Amino acid sequence: MNKHKLKLADKSILLILFLITLISLGPFLWMISTSFKSSGALMSIPIEWIPNEISFKSYEKIIIELPFLRSLFNSILISVFSTLLTIISASMAAFIFAKFEFKHKNVLFILFLASMMVPLQVTGIPIFIILMKLKLINSYVGVIVPTVFNVFAIFLLRQYMRNISNEFIEAALIDGASYFQIYYRIIIPMSIVPITTLIVINFMNYWNDYFWPLIILTDPKKMTLPIMLSKLNSQYATEYNTLMAGSLISMIPILIVYMFAQKYFIRGIQEGGVK
Amino acid sequence: MIKKIILLLSFVLLMAGCSSTPQVDVKEKETITFLNYSSNGGQEATLTAMVEAFNVAYPDIIVEVETLGYADYFTQLATRVAGGSAPDVFELNIENFRAYADKGAIAKLDTSSVDISQIYPKTLTAFQIAGEQYGLPTKFSNVVLIYNKDLFDQAGVEYPTADWTWEDELAAAEKIRALGDDIYGIFRPIQTWEFYKTVAQNGGSMMNADQTTFTLNSSENVEALSMMVARINDSNVTPNAEQMGGMGDWDLFKSGRLGMIVTGIWAFGDFSANCDFDWDIAVEPGIKVNATHFFSDALVVSSDSKVHDAATKFAAFISGSGEAALLRANANWDLPVALTDEVEAAYMAITPPANKQAVFDSLNHLVMPPSLEYFNMVADELQIYLGKAVSGELTAQEALDQAQASVSSKFSK
Amino acid sequence: MKTTTQSKWIILLFLAPSLLGFIVFSLIPIVSALYLSFTSWDVIGGAPEFIGLKNYASILFSAEFYRVILNTLKYISLYIPGIIVSSLFVAIMFDRDIKGIGLFRVLLFIPVLTSWVAGSIIWRSVLSGQYGLMNNLLAIVNIDGPSWLTDKSWAMIAIVMVSIWKDLGFFSLILFGGLRGIDRSIYEAARIDGASSLKVITRITLPLLTPTLFFVLITTLVNSFQLFPQIMVMTGGGPDGATQVMVERIYTYGFRYFQMGYASALAIILLIIIVTITLIQLVLQKKWVYYE
Repeated sequence: MNKHKLKLADKSILLILFLITLISLGPFLWMISTSFKSSGALMSIPIEWIPNEISFKSYEKIIIELPFLRSLFNSILISVFSTLLTIISASMAAFIFAKFEFKHKNVLFILFLASMMVPLQVTGIPIFIILMKLKLINSYVGVIVPTVFNVFAIFLLRQYMRNISNEFIEAALIDGASYFQIYYRIIIPMSIVPITTLIVINFMNYWNDYFWPLIILTDPKKMTLPIMLSKLNSQYATEYNTLMAGSLISMIPILIVYMFAQKYFIRGIQEGGVK
Repeated sequence: MIKKIILLLSFVLLMAGCSSTPQVDVKEKETITFLNYSSNGGQEATLTAMVEAFNVAYPDIIVEVETLGYADYFTQLATRVAGGSAPDVFELNIENFRAYADKGAIAKLDTSSVDISQIYPKTLTAFQIAGEQYGLPTKFSNVVLIYNKDLFDQAGVEYPTADWTWEDELAAAEKIRALGDDIYGIFRPIQTWEFYKTVAQNGGSMMNADQTTFTLNSSENVEALSMMVARINDSNVTPNAEQMGGMGDWDLFKSGRLGMIVTGIWAFGDFSANCDFDWDIAVEPGIKVNATHFFSDALVVSSDSKVHDAATKFAAFISGSGEAALLRANANWDLPVALTDEVEAAYMAITPPANKQAVFDSLNHLVMPPSLEYFNMVADELQIYLGKAVSGELTAQEALDQAQASVSSKFSK
Repeated sequence: MKTTTQSKWIILLFLAPSLLGFIVFSLIPIVSALYLSFTSWDVIGGAPEFIGLKNYASILFSAEFYRVILNTLKYISLYIPGIIVSSLFVAIMFDRDIKGIGLFRVLLFIPVLTSWVAGSIIWRSVLSGQYGLMNNLLAIVNIDGPSWLTDKSWAMIAIVMVSIWKDLGFFSLILFGGLRGIDRSIYEAARIDGASSLKVITRITLPLLTPTLFFVLITTLVNSFQLFPQIMVMTGGGPDGATQVMVERIYTYGFRYFQMGYASALAIILLIIIVTITLIQLVLQKKWVYYE
């Protein structure tokens, strides 16, 4: 009886999730449909919900006419190294904020949080000037280096690490472990859940990031995918079908990262034994 | 972990090393950087050909071209100018030219050393301040009436002619509108840029002659705005925002559901490629007199440029040389400013539209917006009141009275 | 942990990358913005000219500023409850180990992966008045949908809807992670004690989830004040200023009107507002956030 009831609950959960997913993905079906339309079919009335004629022209244009592979390479390079840099730097800082007491800790933390709230539109020009003084304009490093400071990642990790029991650390200290070993052997493995979350989120943000690469990279050979796609929005007309095809293609790498991380994420919880 | 970090650091350093451009031996050569937006979206190959032609004439000047989308161009440019790393040569449209010149971001050009004799004079003066040349125009454009011949035939209406007025236009638009619920007669947007032109057609203006006070709510202006609004709300020959359904006006025309559109000659390329019906053009009809837009893009030289002379030579070549102009005309990339007979013939030869003469006829009726440093702000402010007139929240008279009060209080000198 | 001489060095060493990044890429730029806010800097011209508090005065005396604040409050009051309730709901479902649920965890995340530009463009067409997907669907159930993006009273609601659509997968994932961090043995103990599912959720799950909820609250608040790309693509601040928000104004003043001094002053005011709210939250968290 009890078992049967549970199954019913599970079924209704799946049904609800199915409905939510359907609403969520509705616009994507539209996106996919648009990407397979010829330019003529884009604006036809009545609307072709499913294109009468499937056209691969926009995909052809993205992959063959535009510098797709080059941009793909640039995007991967920038996103991978930015994500790595962020995770290393943020987990180190979060460890300190979660587990150590020092003077003005809260003040510093609030300063960090506050800095997250100033829009890039205002700090953009000063940062640009700083990067120029550092001779980092038009280099991949110039795009990657600013990601060393990521409050959002520090904040998320700190919230999580606070719940890791101090007993582990104290026991390790008694065993003669160094702080670095504690960080590397205890804190990091125990934070694998938020870290995988952050890998996905940061990879995605850096992947879709547009403002920085646009301003910093002047050499067309260093252009990233979003910049390549933005050029489809020209002064007077937008090639919606090509733009949608490009956006869909550019989502694939993040989707792969996410699917991989999702599995790892669940396994991390089951094996890692939080607490 | 330490190993990994070291590995990462060394990689980062490696990339930093790679990023500085290798120093090729270019002792006698000069390099100029060139940033533009107008070649984006189809004309990048034409621009490359122009640069190659330039290099035939000036083999010692290397040009590094960078092309950005229009939407981001001015943000990017402002950031680079502010950061002190402006490109040597960059492109400005007439709307932004004034601000860059007034703030000292662009250099005065010494035109005595370069050949600008072939340039259409009106475009040269558009980029002068107090008689000094600050920019060299590359292309210019005006606005014409583009019409869908098939819809005219279906509605049994005569094609537009050069002596049409708004009345003729409206009569034709109503007949086309009657063809179907989703078919519209004409599209003229209602915004500041359209407003200053339309009021000029009715004998009005945004400011008095010496540009000291605003005259937004003059009776001519109110009458013109009422006519603009009536086309949406009364006869509905022009679709409202809801009927547009988020579609662009060009898209509507290309879909074959719009009889006439008043838009720039830069639409020719797109319409030739994407319209599966016959279309042609006519001089834009006026209310009392003819008036149409004048747009132009120019190349300017940064006031920080260390290679000013080379930069000026490049700008002058793209602007005034017959070679560049011919490449432009053959690529159907707006109207080149160096209008030699050869260029004009090449331009006329590309059809549709068949009636290309209308483009040249329109040159007799060009009007320009008030030359104000803060024109963008005035435009946005006026836009709000125009919107209220369209939505019916205010009458044309009320909207312009309020706009006049608001704009005068904020921007009076 | 106690601070010893040794751990002081450790603290400094571990904080160094973030601290350096903070100083170079945040603190210095913010201080420059603060300085610029007292000037009339036109971006492309020469040096900034000091004008004291003039920018602040003209902001605080303009009707536009209060309209923008009001718009933001309207957004916050709809978005934050909406996103927290819906993502908590989804996260609790995610937390059940049902066969096949992994698929939904992946699918619901897809909107998060889209770039804002593509997402906004697609929604602009979905929500467009007469021909949009949304109103065509509503018409099936006999509802006459509004013209979402051009109607003053609906535009902000449309922006909120789209923002929730985009962020749902993200915050569900974060809350799901938080739920997974809760020790399962506590649930078992509660079940042995005969607690009902509702009681388990309100008495155990929610209190133990408060650190994550706190994180979500702060992040959504910051997001709300930084609302930008969806506005630029979908409404451009219109109709009639109904969706004008702070960052959109900052961008417009800085890069369209070349009044970076004024834009910087707006940004500093924005900073003061958000810091105040965050400080209040940090103080209040002691009352409701439960750390082990």
